[in-house]
Amino acid sequence: MLNKNAFKVGLFVVITTFLVVMTIGFMVYKKGVFEKVYTYTLSSKSGENLTLGMPVVFSGFTIGKVDVLELNEEGVVLITIKVPKRHIKWIRSNSVFSLDKPLIGAPKITVITENLNSPPLSPEAIVEIGTANDINEIIKRVNPILEMVNRIAANIETISVNLANPRGDVNKILRNAEKLTSNLSGKPSLLDMAVDDRESINALYSAMKSTKVITSQIEDTLKKVDAMAVKTDEKVYGREGSLSLVNNILKDLIIKLQNLDATLANVNTISKDAADSTKDFKLLREEIDGTIYSIKELVKKVDDLVPFKKEPDIKLP
Amino acid sequence: MKILVEHIGLSFLHTTQSLKETLLFAFKVVSRILDKNAYNSAVRMVLTDQIYFTSVQILPLFLTVAAIFGSVLVVILMLMVKELGMVQYIGRFMIGFMVNELSPFITVLLIALRSSAAINTEIAVMKVNQEIKTLEVFHIDTINYLFLPRIINGVISVVLMNCLFSIVVLATGLLFSKLIFGMSFNLYADVLLNSIYFSDLLILLLKCITYGVFITLIPILYGLRATNELTSIPVSVLNGMVKVFIAIVIIEVLSLIIKLM
Amino acid sequence: MMEHQHYSGLISLDIPLISNLDVWNNIALIKLYKENMPKREARKLVLKLLHRYHLEDIAYKRSTSLTEEQKFCVMLLRAAMVHEAIIVIDRPFIILHNSKDSRFMEDALEKIDDLYKQCHILEYIWNKSRYINNDAE
Repeated sequence: MLNKNAFKVGLFVVITTFLVVMTIGFMVYKKGVFEKVYTYTLSSKSGENLTLGMPVVFSGFTIGKVDVLELNEEGVVLITIKVPKRHIKWIRSNSVFSLDKPLIGAPKITVITENLNSPPLSPEAIVEIGTANDINEIIKRVNPILEMVNRIAANIETISVNLANPRGDVNKILRNAEKLTSNLSGKPSLLDMAVDDRESINALYSAMKSTKVITSQIEDTLKKVDAMAVKTDEKVYGREGSLSLVNNILKDLIIKLQNLDATLANVNTISKDAADSTKDFKLLREEIDGTIYSIKELVKKVDDLVPFKKEPDIKLP
Repeated sequence: MKILVEHIGLSFLHTTQSLKETLLFAFKVVSRILDKNAYNSAVRMVLTDQIYFTSVQILPLFLTVAAIFGSVLVVILMLMVKELGMVQYIGRFMIGFMVNELSPFITVLLIALRSSAAINTEIAVMKVNQEIKTLEVFHIDTINYLFLPRIINGVISVVLMNCLFSIVVLATGLLFSKLIFGMSFNLYADVLLNSIYFSDLLILLLKCITYGVFITLIPILYGLRATNELTSIPVSVLNGMVKVFIAIVIIEVLSLIIKLM
Repeated sequence: MMEHQHYSGLISLDIPLISNLDVWNNIALIKLYKENMPKREARKLVLKLLHRYHLEDIAYKRSTSLTEEQKFCVMLLRAAMVHEAIIVIDRPFIILHNSKDSRFMEDALEKIDDLYKQCHILEYIWNKSRYINNDAE
């Protein structure tokens, strides 16, 4: 039994130690403890937020860490980073280094490499790092919102003051509303609420009663008008209706008016001529007479065609 | 008022004296660990038995607790991380919280609950039965024969059991990271490796060693304080176990302070 | 007595067997601790010695399950494990309180007389009559 216990203890110690050694070995291998490490130098105007051991991150993966921080003679902070051999492929001559200060979590140096085919970064080169500050960015974005919130708060305060003031607008409105409500609650009907005069209300009631009679009369009239309209439609819009005749006459009239235009042009010429001389005055008079006569004839025809025109009233020159 | 101040003063003096005794005893025992003459067949036998009772016998229960407790905590942690959108910090949570803090704490609690209580009772019974005197009569050094193997066992057990607990927790983490985030083994390993620092591991090792020393040394010390009466045994175990718990908390706090420095 | 301190193998009710150790372990403890004797060898030796009393079957028992005679034999063997042992038995009839005389004790001592240099028995004067070899001082 004792030997059994000793065997079990031995087994436990050996297996556990083996597991621990394997885990540590795997860790050491994966972390590249014995791997060759390359050193690059970065520069920054300020050493703020820079710490020893700070991770150097590429695409979210830690590829190195800050090894040394020192201040040179020009007052520039020199940051020496160490990158294992297997990760140097991510650091090229066009790589951009920036100090990333996230809102949550520790600051880190982020590497962005646009073109991975660029030549590798020389270990002698000193690259300046930029700063990406999440907190300041957020503060910048939040500032206008805060201003807006401040304005809203000021307005709310004004409203609150107004509410608190017994002579304020809001209280006035509330008082009026109260008065109105009490008035309305005392009236027997909506009409009484709207018109505060008993005689007017009675008149309105009688008018409403007579409206019914008027409505029935109007209905009859409308029926008659409808019948007349049907007849008128036939007379006016039918094939033999007045409207087609009027159309024909109007066409004729347009032609004649064109002639008249020409005549008037002649009249103008003649007037001009008459101003110069009155030699052809007689001849001119005859022509005018003739024209007026023809117009008279035309108007008569129109009068005959349009029956509802009471009195033709054509003023002659 | 005067009595109260007097009481506080006495209590302080008593605590200081107790702390001093414990540290002196610890120093005496630890210095013996380095003395190769302290080791012989009898000591090795006791050590083997102690490791068997402390670690091997408890192993199935311990691994089950580690798997269940670890799984539940890992799932809670991962869901929380996912909800907060802090997936990139999963390695930090797993290593920094689960492996560096929680794993040694639970390990030491489990071992202390079982073995510290047993050691305290055993030494107290030996004291009451005058068995300690027997050893003295036969010129067998009690520190070498009784205390040294128990303390070494404490160190070995806490360190190894903590490693096992961590391995189980990380293995459940691998399983749940695959289920919750669809992470591959390589990605999971990379995430964890990026969060492991050798300095943290060194602190973890030192913490486990300190735990191991004190969760066995304090019960021995309090077991020796038992008188010749049987009724002194439960009193000694009670006091010893309370002090063991206080020691665990103090060591945890100290390790956190060292880490923050 | 002080000069023989390192060689004395005391047998007394005040020096009990270790309760959390087996019989063989109690006997072998001195050899294991002081002479760094390998466990296997120590066990073999103890079993051989127990055989002298025909008590091999109690080798893996704890002290609480032993009779007073068995307990006495084990304590005697333990004391005899001391190098160049001077065995001192303190009031043996307190341990062997059911024994009427010293016969059992003397037989037990005789069986291992090669393991010790001297043997001294401390006893109350009124128990003198219980000893067969009545040459006590």
